[in-house]
Amino acid sequence: MASFLTVDDVTQVFPLANGGRYVALKDIDLEIAEGEFVSLIGHSGCGKSTLLNLLAGLTQASSGGILMDGRQVTEPGPDRMVVFQNYSLLPWQSVRQNIALAVNRVMGHQSASQRQATVEQAIAMVGLGPAADKLPAELSGGMKQRVAIARALAIRPRLLLLDEPFGALDALTRGNLQEQLMGICQESGVTTVMVTHDVDEALLLSDRVVMLTNGPEAEIGQILEVPIPRPRQRLEVMDHPQYYQLRTELIGFLQQQRRLRQRRAEREKELAPAATATVQSARPSAATSVRLGVIPGLDIAPLALALADNLFEASRVQVVTVPFASWERLEEKLVAGELDGAITAATSPLALALGLGGQRPWPAITPMTVSRNGNALCLARSFLSMGVRDRESLARLLGQRSEALRIAVPQRHGIAELLLRHWLAAGGLDPERQVTFPVLSPMAMHGALRSEQIDGFIAGRYRVAEAVEDRQGFVLATDLDIWSGHPEKVLTCSEAWAANHPETLEALCVGLMRAAERCDDSGRRPELTRVLSQPQWLGTRAAIALGRQFDSGMGEPPRQLLAFNRYHADRAHIPNRAEGAWILSQFSRWGWCPFPSNRLELLAQVYRPDLCDQALAAAGYPVLRPDRHAFSLADGLPFHQDDPLAYLRSLPGSPQPPVAQVALPESRPTVPPSSPASA
Amino acid sequence: MTLASPSRPRQRQRAGLRPLLPYIVCIGGFLLLWQLLSLVLGVSRLPGPINVVADTWNPYISQPFFDNGGTSKGLGWQILISLQRVALGYGLAAVVGVSIGGLLGLSRFIGKGLDPVIQVLRTVPPLAWFPISLMVFQDATTSAIFVIFITAIWPIIINTAVGIREIPQDYTNVARVLRLRKGEYIRNIVIPATVPYVFTGLRIAVGLAWLAIVAAEMLKADGGIGYFIWDAYNAGGDASSSQIILAILYVGLVGLALDRLVAWVGRRVARGTN
Repeated sequence: MASFLTVDDVTQVFPLANGGRYVALKDIDLEIAEGEFVSLIGHSGCGKSTLLNLLAGLTQASSGGILMDGRQVTEPGPDRMVVFQNYSLLPWQSVRQNIALAVNRVMGHQSASQRQATVEQAIAMVGLGPAADKLPAELSGGMKQRVAIARALAIRPRLLLLDEPFGALDALTRGNLQEQLMGICQESGVTTVMVTHDVDEALLLSDRVVMLTNGPEAEIGQILEVPIPRPRQRLEVMDHPQYYQLRTELIGFLQQQRRLRQRRAEREKELAPAATATVQSARPSAATSVRLGVIPGLDIAPLALALADNLFEASRVQVVTVPFASWERLEEKLVAGELDGAITAATSPLALALGLGGQRPWPAITPMTVSRNGNALCLARSFLSMGVRDRESLARLLGQRSEALRIAVPQRHGIAELLLRHWLAAGGLDPERQVTFPVLSPMAMHGALRSEQIDGFIAGRYRVAEAVEDRQGFVLATDLDIWSGHPEKVLTCSEAWAANHPETLEALCVGLMRAAERCDDSGRRPELTRVLSQPQWLGTRAAIALGRQFDSGMGEPPRQLLAFNRYHADRAHIPNRAEGAWILSQFSRWGWCPFPSNRLELLAQVYRPDLCDQALAAAGYPVLRPDRHAFSLADGLPFHQDDPLAYLRSLPGSPQPPVAQVALPESRPTVPPSSPASA
Repeated sequence: MTLASPSRPRQRQRAGLRPLLPYIVCIGGFLLLWQLLSLVLGVSRLPGPINVVADTWNPYISQPFFDNGGTSKGLGWQILISLQRVALGYGLAAVVGVSIGGLLGLSRFIGKGLDPVIQVLRTVPPLAWFPISLMVFQDATTSAIFVIFITAIWPIIINTAVGIREIPQDYTNVARVLRLRKGEYIRNIVIPATVPYVFTGLRIAVGLAWLAIVAAEMLKADGGIGYFIWDAYNAGGDASSSQIILAILYVGLVGLALDRLVAWVGRRVARGTN
């Protein structure tokens, strides 16, 4: 579908009187088809009207642009007619004169009688014949709005822009006018964008509702399709089976935004005295030291390189790595406050915030993604002799035997387990019945495979490569077969720590980003291998595997060098809320928690692209945003962040998990009490 | 019910008088006080209202348009002479003031640059202009007209400029969306939107012009109501203080009438706008 109107990465910044800048809109991307009716909804101050003015061309975006029919919008024009919030009729001209002014100006090429006919037709369309010679001051609000709409439609715009057109009217008038507008728009087929704060109005009139998050830096929070057939009647619309679900979704969004705003206001109040105190105490002392929990692996290469190459700004941050052997221990220490942060699985921030596995919800946030990709699934060689070559042959084998397959995962509820379960289910296997997922430390997996405690494991590719070199296992799949580009490791810390140490956190992220860029550079591969072969990281033995070609162990000649994770390229660092939404969908798919009805609130709290942007800017990298398009895993099913439940229904077995509001973790400035299990 | 019917006309009668009651009481009280004050000070120093009417009835009140040649004319003629001068000076000020104000309003650059000049000159008292205009024009009547012009022009300039700058964003947005040409924009939006402001300026200006003409005529002129006052004072006859008081009353009434006239015209022209 070729789009008629394109809003391309629009950011709008206003200078403030005190010399500051107010970022009203940030990175807005939107495509509108011809004839579509789109509503913009959000709390006041979210930049709805700013966006409308940009579409009209009354103001110019600070960056990004707006295209209509492939041409950039640089100035206002009658092909994009606006119906302003307060009607904007000229009070010294009668209804007829107001409309005639527009018609005469825009349709000057027509004959006078033709133009007059157009004016009269417009007046008749909104039923204002008897009032045609009255001045606006003699009309009621509803009538004025009808004149404004008539004036706008009389000049046959290609795009009609309505700024809260019915906001000032009483309920009865509003209802009548809404139906009139709907009829007119349908008849003329004009593309329409309407700003509103009325949920029912948006649902009645729109094909799509675009929900904006709170300003400053408002962005598109969610886009809701309204699949109610046209022509619509108010009562029929309300009786539509999906109406209340859509309405709940919209109101839920607005409520979540309101709570986020309150939360932000409270946070600012809390921080105001604390910030000055920390600044004073931090000045004399040297760089803040950060205790960072890690499990050595290829995916923490940026950390290793940053330390080796002194990429952390020594005056701002002092990184102390605390190595762990198991993810469970690492997360216990993180929650207990013994670590300031950690490089964890991509699922951990959400799992901690939700309190999966009976834990107390912990206010985890993630300011950046550290690495993407890098996993492989390895099965014991004995399966080769049983004819297992791929997922289909594995499914056949498991269909014949009653014994469940034991595949070790590094962590319960981890990204590796999610990928594995998803891949198995996509191949027609039942992960709940046919497979068990024992948790093992990544270091112990190789040994467990050798001693036949497990049938296989999913872990970092270089660990799998070791097992293949040992002729213990073979590679059944890599994550390129499951989800290429998935988030693997992320930086995780508590919300309070991030708020209290913004400079330190930024310096930490900047160092990791700079190192990540070097890690992606294949020319530096020998150097990276040398750094990683140091004993505190992978050690010499593991590092040898990095220098070899990746052998699948299935008898084919090794094709290429072991592919490393993706660390930096293609917006790798962004904590992407859409990916978070996928993770939440999978949590609920496997019954670990209900699907959160307040997912946007949860994601906004946990995923902090704002911190990532700050660090990217500080490091001198372009601040890019993920696009809002649906993405799909290797199974090809599109995942759209605006409708995760539809995605779930499209999966094998069409899971329909319960939807419920989840409690969000309380963030206190003090360290939360440690859980009793951490002893 | 039977009692109600006779009481109705009485009520109506009372209602007819009631709105006038405050005027009757207050103005009557004022006149009474004046008469008492006159009794205390002596009629020769301050004639009371009764003396004023008695002293000036003939010829000044009864024959406003007598003409004995020279400057000996009825008060009606004197006022007309003054009004003529005002009409010239004020009319000129209105035309020039609206033009300059429009220029200042439409061009931010000129508006900014000339603002200090206007702010300084507008505070100059009318009579301070008089000597310099006498030197330039060498003629009392022309000088009086110039003083009116220069006094009346500032509020007109300032209000016109403000009116243009304060055109609501909504109307300019409409103009921008419709891509109105400059001429259409000025005709359909700038002028109608600015009219109320212009008339506020014109109304202030007409008051100032009337103030200035009386003062200018007292200094140096042939004829006119200001000249009449000064002439009566210099004559020093028995009735001169009564004549002065009557002339002052006429000056006030004419000033009020001018103010109301401009306001009325303004309302008629600016139809639709508040």
